[in-house]
Amino acid sequence: MRYALIVIPLLLLPVLLNDFWLTQVMTRALILGIVALSLSFLAKYLGVVSFAQAAMAGAGGYTIAYFGPNSVNIGIELPFWISIPLALFLATAFGGLIGCVARRSRGIYAIMITLAIGIAFFYFTRQNYALFNGWTGFSGVRAPLIGGISLRAPVPLYFMSLLSAVVSMMLVSGFARSPMGLAIQAVRDAPGRVMALGISVSTPIIAAFAFSGLLAGTGGILNVWYQERISSFSVGFGPIIDILIIAVIGGLRYPSGAFIGAIVFVMLDTFAVDLVDRERFNTLIGTVLLLIVIFAPNGLQQLVMDGAAKLRRAKQPTN
Amino acid sequence: MPVIDTHNSVNALEVRGIGKRFGAFWAVQDINLTVRPGERRAILGPNGAGKTSLFNVLTGDTNASAGSIKMFGADMTRMPINKRIRHGLRRTYQHANLFNGLTVRDTLFLAVAGIRGGWGQLLPLKASDHRLAEAERLAEVAGIQTFFSHEVSSLSHGQRRQLEIAIALAENPKVLLLDEPAAGLSPAERPKLSELLMSLPKDVTVVLIEHDMEIALQTSESVSVLFNGKLLAEGAPTEIMENEDVHRVYIGGAHVH
Ligand SMILES: Nc1ncnc2c1ncn2[C@@H]1O[C@H](COP(=O)(O)OP(=O)(O)OP(=O)(O)O)[C@@H](O)[C@H]1O
Ligand SMILES: [Mg+2]
Repeated sequence: MRYALIVIPLLLLPVLLNDFWLTQVMTRALILGIVALSLSFLAKYLGVVSFAQAAMAGAGGYTIAYFGPNSVNIGIELPFWISIPLALFLATAFGGLIGCVARRSRGIYAIMITLAIGIAFFYFTRQNYALFNGWTGFSGVRAPLIGGISLRAPVPLYFMSLLSAVVSMMLVSGFARSPMGLAIQAVRDAPGRVMALGISVSTPIIAAFAFSGLLAGTGGILNVWYQERISSFSVGFGPIIDILIIAVIGGLRYPSGAFIGAIVFVMLDTFAVDLVDRERFNTLIGTVLLLIVIFAPNGLQQLVMDGAAKLRRAKQPTN
Repeated sequence: MPVIDTHNSVNALEVRGIGKRFGAFWAVQDINLTVRPGERRAILGPNGAGKTSLFNVLTGDTNASAGSIKMFGADMTRMPINKRIRHGLRRTYQHANLFNGLTVRDTLFLAVAGIRGGWGQLLPLKASDHRLAEAERLAEVAGIQTFFSHEVSSLSHGQRRQLEIAIALAENPKVLLLDEPAAGLSPAERPKLSELLMSLPKDVTVVLIEHDMEIALQTSESVSVLFNGKLLAEGAPTEIMENEDVHRVYIGGAHVH
């Protein structure tokens, strides 16, 4: 019911918005939101802040570029119904691998190890030409044609991103209620006790990272179609920090906050040029982040929920 | 020695020369303990006597520095914790380390799934899951069924103690180690706890660390007293009450939780 209230207006957006708003703002926000969701999932359910989400998204994106039509003549072209599952699989496996490396680290150490992995992946893509085409990467990547319609066209790409975002949210809430999802949350709260119940501590951690790899990979695939290219810059410092900023703005403890954070981020990124000059964007986003951390440490999602609760109380003065 | 049953050759617990060392300090030293199947044994001792350390070694939460442990004849000294659980060994913890973000239901579900298996399933849990039915039964036994869907972080101290016991009762334990289950309970809650302890199936072997003498003596048929990591005395409750050594180090002295 609550989902319908949000999703139905979103379904109508293509009629209401022009291509610029639909693609540059909404589609982009949905894609970034999915990648940020992969981070807030880990933060909320495993209690780990990961800096390796851009790398997981990159694993999905690079796979699609390598096994899809591109203009740099690297890779093997496969039909999309093979390359998409392959890209999702590799992103999931990469996430699991990162979880395996990071499984003994918590708190600040988990941040450092995932950051190291993210940066190592960035430098690796710059130096490897056979698979990643070095720092220039892949350009001219074309989204699949389905029935003669390109998925890159504004409306199909928007719907594809919206569908992916909705499915991702449903997967997160379903997974959190699965036995493995409960084990993941138990590891977050008391890892020693998990062991005492006869449950492995490593397996839930690896599963959580793998699942976040699946989400990040989904965003990564969409992003390649949207940008029509991918390069080392797509997995560098910039995107790593952007994903974190989006998740924090929305509220690390709220999966749906990732999308609120993404909208705010994209709006600022798109319209900051009109407010401040291009070079000042980092200052602006930094200021917004600072204000949020100080005045709404649980992010905008919490602010929205608090506001809604206040409204509801105001409407029922008898209670 | 009324404690050792000569008729039954297979003891529930047979602990020989167990020691636990932290650096140069022996928290537990050369402990021998024989517990018959179905016996109710209390372990007494002042703060820092080594009671919890002994439990940690028995359950595999930490490794023994010396000695051997047998449960129903099976050597468990080097057995990993998850295998000991499957052999029927369970415990509660003195200091709460529960899953604060989970509900009572989910906590008990994990306790059951840790033994029955299938905790790694990826699809949402169905309401008809057999492990949830067991979780519900456990909550009922421990008297927390009204809080079944509450988050653990919202439980009172007493309810958390009850949850600890419910976790330990998952899947028919054979040997139950309870580490001060009454600690921090209000006088009103204590009788309920003794009642719960006495309602446990008679074939379950219970080893109980308890400072509350009333509960310890009411629920146990034999008592071991630890002092400075060593076994000071062992016997029936009445013998222990009259033991001068015990009076000197424990019963007579002031005790702080
Ligand atoms: N991990 C540890 N490292 C170092 N020393 C420890 C450790 N755990 C316990 N000790 C020490 O071992 C001794 C026994 O501690 P233990 O917790 O077993 O006592 P206890 O009998 O359970 O006491 P209490 O009644 O307070 O629960 C204490 O002196 C304690 O400081
Ligand atoms: Mg203790």
